[in-house]
Amino acid sequence: MPETQLKEDELCETGIEKLDEMLGGGIPTGSSVLVVGSSGSGKTTLCMQYLINGAKKGERGVFFTITEPLFKLTKNLDTFSFYDKKLIESGMVNLIDLRIITERLGLNTEKYTVEDASALLDILKDIADELNVKRLVIDSITALCYRLQTPEMIRDFIFKLGSSLAAMNCTTLLTSEIPPCKFQYSQYGIEEFISDGILFLGDVERKGDLIRTFQIVKMRGTAHDRTKTAMLISTKNGVELETLLRSRE
Amino acid sequence: MVNILIDGLMERISSAIALNKSIGILLPSQNYQELIQALFERIKSKPDEAWIYVSVTKPFLNISNQLPFITEIKNIRFIDCISRTAGISNSTKNIIFIESPTMLEKIGLEIMNIFKEVDPKTKKYLVIDSLTNLIIYNDPEIVTEFFHNIINRTRARDINIISLAIEEEGMECYLNRLVNLNDKILKIRDSFI
Repeated sequence: MPETQLKEDELCETGIEKLDEMLGGGIPTGSSVLVVGSSGSGKTTLCMQYLINGAKKGERGVFFTITEPLFKLTKNLDTFSFYDKKLIESGMVNLIDLRIITERLGLNTEKYTVEDASALLDILKDIADELNVKRLVIDSITALCYRLQTPEMIRDFIFKLGSSLAAMNCTTLLTSEIPPCKFQYSQYGIEEFISDGILFLGDVERKGDLIRTFQIVKMRGTAHDRTKTAMLISTKNGVELETLLRSRE
Repeated sequence: MVNILIDGLMERISSAIALNKSIGILLPSQNYQELIQALFERIKSKPDEAWIYVSVTKPFLNISNQLPFITEIKNIRFIDCISRTAGISNSTKNIIFIESPTMLEKIGLEIMNIFKEVDPKTKKYLVIDSLTNLIIYNDPEIVTEFFHNIINRTRARDINIISLAIEEEGMECYLNRLVNLNDKILKIRDSFI
């Protein structure tokens, strides 16, 4: 297990046993971590498990979605045994559809102006502060940036988001969508620079079957494990990590 | 004749597992049915032990049709790696179905997850049936890596392991390398039972 200089209370445990071991105890509190992967790689499940495990130990969390309607998200969650509906009902885990918020604000939900993006950042911060959340997820930063019209706006938005997240007292996971079989961390090439950590979800092909993989590429403040592991998702245990067999990989 | 065979096999398995952490059983395909019957009889006779049976050779349904008494055995959990590949989509309580024998990491994880739930004082045993069939679906190198990994993890957790290797032409070098990872090798021949 990698050694860490951080104390236990400075680490945010994900509650996924092997992942916490690889991180040397957990994610350094207050970090913004990019969870990178293509469609179906398990980004949303990993993030939800992180939020729910936190809520189970008393840390309030919020999940901002911009890709999936809430009813679909909860329907999918219902299949996992780690999911506890009471945590949503009690407000320990808050699920918020950003498209509904932007609609209520009278913003164009498909294309954001500079002002819209700025207003959205303020709202994210206000909600996180008001709910006093310790864990925050934005699913996905890619979909959020897609609504911005120029590369300059995207760059500006990402840097502002980075500053806002750094000022918040919570540990954030930002999902980043990439095309399948690509070893890149983000769609716009900037997201990784505002992140303190990068978790890469990929896959390897074995006899035509796809095996999900997981790797900690970067995690500031920890002497983390960098090995590629197999990532398995089951309704019983959610995300689990296992030694990846690599002969002839 | 069959009963004598099975009793003989049961005795050999029992004495081997009493002395060794890992046993490789090398057998000709014609003795396969007797061997697994002997194994199940042995498992049934010791209800205080915890067993996992990883099946890559035959779907659980097939095994239970041939040996109906196995459905009554309470101290065994099955990990069926072949039904889904064979297009059998039934779901049987207490059986873990793996979508393909290529999902070796998943097989390993399920084994460890089941044993985690077993009382630490209980004697634990794992059967892999069979290394030969794992090689049919995977490259031999990756099966060696998988088996090496499983042997190390089970030893560290005080779990005994029995692996079957059904002799097949052209596979001798792979199977010999694999069974040699065990503490003890049993070679089954009609004349020696």
